[in-house]
Amino acid sequence: MNPVGLPPVSSGLLVAGAVTAAAVSLWLLLPRGSDRHQSRSFYLTQRCGMLLGVVALAGLATAGRRLGSLGEDAVFLTVSIVAVVSGAATIVSRSPVYSAIWFALSLAGVAGVLLVLGAQFLGVATIVVYAGAILVMFLFVLMLAQPSGLAPYDRVSSEPLLSAVAGAVLLGLLTLSIGRLSSGTLPSRAGAVETLATTAPAALDPLEDNHVARLGAELFGRHLVAVEAAGVLLLVALIGSIAIVSRGELDAVADRHSTASDAPTSHTPTRPEGIA
Amino acid sequence: MAGLPLLQNSLLVGALLFVLGLEGMLTRRNLIVLFLSAELMLQGISISLVAWSRFHGDWGGQVFVIFVLTVAACEAAVALVFVLQAFARTGRLDAAAWQSLRESNLPRVVDHELPAIDDLPADWPKLSPAGVQPVTDENSALQRDHV
Repeated sequence: MNPVGLPPVSSGLLVAGAVTAAAVSLWLLLPRGSDRHQSRSFYLTQRCGMLLGVVALAGLATAGRRLGSLGEDAVFLTVSIVAVVSGAATIVSRSPVYSAIWFALSLAGVAGVLLVLGAQFLGVATIVVYAGAILVMFLFVLMLAQPSGLAPYDRVSSEPLLSAVAGAVLLGLLTLSIGRLSSGTLPSRAGAVETLATTAPAALDPLEDNHVARLGAELFGRHLVAVEAAGVLLLVALIGSIAIVSRGELDAVADRHSTASDAPTSHTPTRPEGIA
Repeated sequence: MAGLPLLQNSLLVGALLFVLGLEGMLTRRNLIVLFLSAELMLQGISISLVAWSRFHGDWGGQVFVIFVLTVAACEAAVALVFVLQAFARTGRLDAAAWQSLRESNLPRVVDHELPAIDDLPADWPKLSPAGVQPVTDENSALQRDHV
């Protein structure tokens, strides 16, 4: 239980500095309309933003606790830095296609963190469901709808300074309150925490053989009704999206016909009675 | 693998991802990037839930993350349909294209003239041509030591 090595997250100054650096870095990196992409000032701004981001990450990594051994620390640091850096690149990329690709890399990092945490099924499901299905759907829509080149609304951002400050405040508060967690102050299961902390890693061993079997037993045992509800939700979402698309297409066709000619709209396809 | 340090570090990563997604949601104007930011926030929440699940040694957090995945899939399906409809009506993936829906006392988003983009690369990367009959020397073709 005792943290090894570096001091815990008690130094508020370190956290404040790191969070401020993160905010300034994001503010510098976020798109602003006046960017001239080959100018010297743009280059300097980007490099300063990246440098400050590295400083912020280093500060936050120092604020974190050691996990125990060097190997565990290295693996966790690597996957979490991949997740966070590509998450930041997702929101500062000018081109939404690059945003989507960076988000895929961030998902890979998140899956790594989940694997380190011992959630094998969720790590794989994140890759398969998010990166394999949802992200590809986003990319399809982007390829359908994205104009060539950078759109003007991709090159500006609304209130980058205020939102960076707000995010920094939120991150600082979260970091400080996370750092103040200790086995004594954890509210739930007081008293059981000590025993849990010793037995829990064995119960959720990452290398356990029947991890997925136990997760499935839990899912279809205690949470069976919720699983059924989730299935119904998926069905409703499927039907709903198809209904919206077909109705929208009918509307678009009707619009085209009514604006193309003032002739009587005998050719306008009438909407079937069943679809409201 | 220890309990509390792993929990704290994972919560820190989750908080970072959540804050990044929040800032993306607040600043960007492309509808697709807005949804990517929402997914980023969901990732941060998932990491936090799994970390607590690991710390307490029960499966509740992991089961909840499975439902988060389900709802995220539904949300993406329905939301992308709405985005496509919005694009069909306005021709833009711009959130500010729908600013007539804003509250009446909020200022209007005004786009200023932007400088021209000059970041196109001078020469695009090239692929070597495919489908071209290779030039072979008949003498050396007979002497090849492998096919």
